[in-house]
Amino acid sequence: MCTPKLISRQTFLKASLALAATPLLRYVPAHAAAADVSEVAPGVFVHQGRYEVQSPENRGDMANASFVVGSEGVAVIDTSGSAVMGRELRDAIRAVTNKPIKYVINTHMHPDHVFGNAAFVQDNPTFVGHYKLARALGTRSQGYITANKQMLGEATFKGSEIILPTLSIKEPTTLDLGDRTLLLEPQPTAHTDNDLIVTDSKTNTLFLGDLLFSVHVPTIDGSIKGWLALLDEMGKRKAARVVPGHGPQTMELPEALEPEQRYLATIAADVRRQIAEGKTLAEATKTAGFSEKDAWKLFDQYHVRNVTAAFAELEWE
Amino acid sequence: MPHTFISLAKACGLAALAASLLVLGLPDARAEENVWPILKEQAFGDRPIQEEDGMVVLETPSKVEDAAIVPLTVRVPPSVKGELKSLTLFIDKNPDPKVATLTFGPAAGTSGERSFSTRVRVDNFSHVRAILETADGSLHMTTKFLAAAGGCAAMQAKDPDADSADMGKVIVRTFPPALDSNPIWAAQVMIKHPNHNGMQLDINTAKFIPARFVKEMTVKRDGELVFQLDGTFSISTNPNFRFTFSRGEENDLDVVIVDTDGTVFEGQTHPKGS
Repeated sequence: MCTPKLISRQTFLKASLALAATPLLRYVPAHAAAADVSEVAPGVFVHQGRYEVQSPENRGDMANASFVVGSEGVAVIDTSGSAVMGRELRDAIRAVTNKPIKYVINTHMHPDHVFGNAAFVQDNPTFVGHYKLARALGTRSQGYITANKQMLGEATFKGSEIILPTLSIKEPTTLDLGDRTLLLEPQPTAHTDNDLIVTDSKTNTLFLGDLLFSVHVPTIDGSIKGWLALLDEMGKRKAARVVPGHGPQTMELPEALEPEQRYLATIAADVRRQIAEGKTLAEATKTAGFSEKDAWKLFDQYHVRNVTAAFAELEWE
Repeated sequence: MPHTFISLAKACGLAALAASLLVLGLPDARAEENVWPILKEQAFGDRPIQEEDGMVVLETPSKVEDAAIVPLTVRVPPSVKGELKSLTLFIDKNPDPKVATLTFGPAAGTSGERSFSTRVRVDNFSHVRAILETADGSLHMTTKFLAAAGGCAAMQAKDPDADSADMGKVIVRTFPPALDSNPIWAAQVMIKHPNHNGMQLDINTAKFIPARFVKEMTVKRDGELVFQLDGTFSISTNPNFRFTFSRGEENDLDVVIVDTDGTVFEGQTHPKGS
């Protein structure tokens, strides 16, 4: 496995000087900090989010956010959970390259992956997502805005908005960054109904979005059956490394998938048994899947919701 | 340029507010205000209501995890004997506070533990109430407080395409009691139906998805009425009901569901086989 390399202070200074020497760019940092990113493969940078729920302190910094630098431009893959985090990610990009930000790709609809989009509007990129992403964001936007404003606080949330995709991906599609391409593959309903897998051709790095959780308990907002089926398919892929939506910066297939497969399979088995026994949803939420409690962070925050979703799906079998 | 969503979101919030004002007829409907006196007046006039007298029990989750699908259970303890007339559920702060009214028939039973469960949307921190009307016409209420918000505008369907493919599918199940001597059976009715409340935006048209929800459900056991339910969009997507009924000869259940578009859905179960 490639050891993540932190951007050295020297590189950062060099980049800053280069920027300062380019008056046309008119780069003015709006605040002190750029997001902490690591180059996990040549030209592939990942910022690791925290294992937390939204708070004014973490400013929505919960999901991993990445960018890929090509000879002709940059593609951002997920933008973190607020405009302020999006700006810090943009600053981190500008610390390593002044190439145009051509694409902002969202791996799926969740607020911790999309609310930073607003910081990139100034670059006039193509906003890219699964063909069901726009509908999913549309129906949820009010709830997402209300909830995140509440959790992050009005001041931290300021400037965050839902930016809809301008390019919708229905078939596998290639985006050109010059010396490298990104392959975008829309997936059937799994974590959500709008999951997208992004592959960097040059380094064979897979960005799995929230199809892969590590350490942070998975959250079901699509179909538990669909997700388990897709994980079987994902396990057959070959990749130099994968970037999870929540978890370390990089992991390896197929081992990376195993804890998540076990978690989802345990819930499915427990819930199916309870449905067969005539148990109710309320009863299932008290017991199903609790053998997984110590294996994950944020279990108390999300597990009961996962069982609820699994029950409401599996009771129709 | 990317188009933003802020103005639509604002419109959505205003529409939800407008809807709540229409129903409540109040100048303001914020969480702090007690709207129950008005709701009570509308539903029951000046009839007295006994509160927390043990005639009816309401079970809610200790912590709401998903405000779009909150399980509620109402129980009438075995100590309460005789026929029941009706049961009404309220969520004070929802855009339409009345969740459902059940009007019981002869097959609802006169003894044992009678119960009714469903799953609801909760739009704001709110009191939830169950009001039971017994055969003598007296009213009995129990109240719980739910800390949940955002269930109404949230689109609960996680896979709307798969759901719409199965629209109208009805499943009816019965659960015989463990002891043959128990006069009460349990049953479940579930229907694939979006129960659209008119507060969800369709991004393709930039319009609200029109309200369409289960308005009426009639449940009969061996041809006798268990209950008739009048429902609202406070009931979650893919409405789901658990309830009890009195043991009959065949224990065949027939269920007829009508939605606000006038579409009729039917389901039945024949435990002894057809």
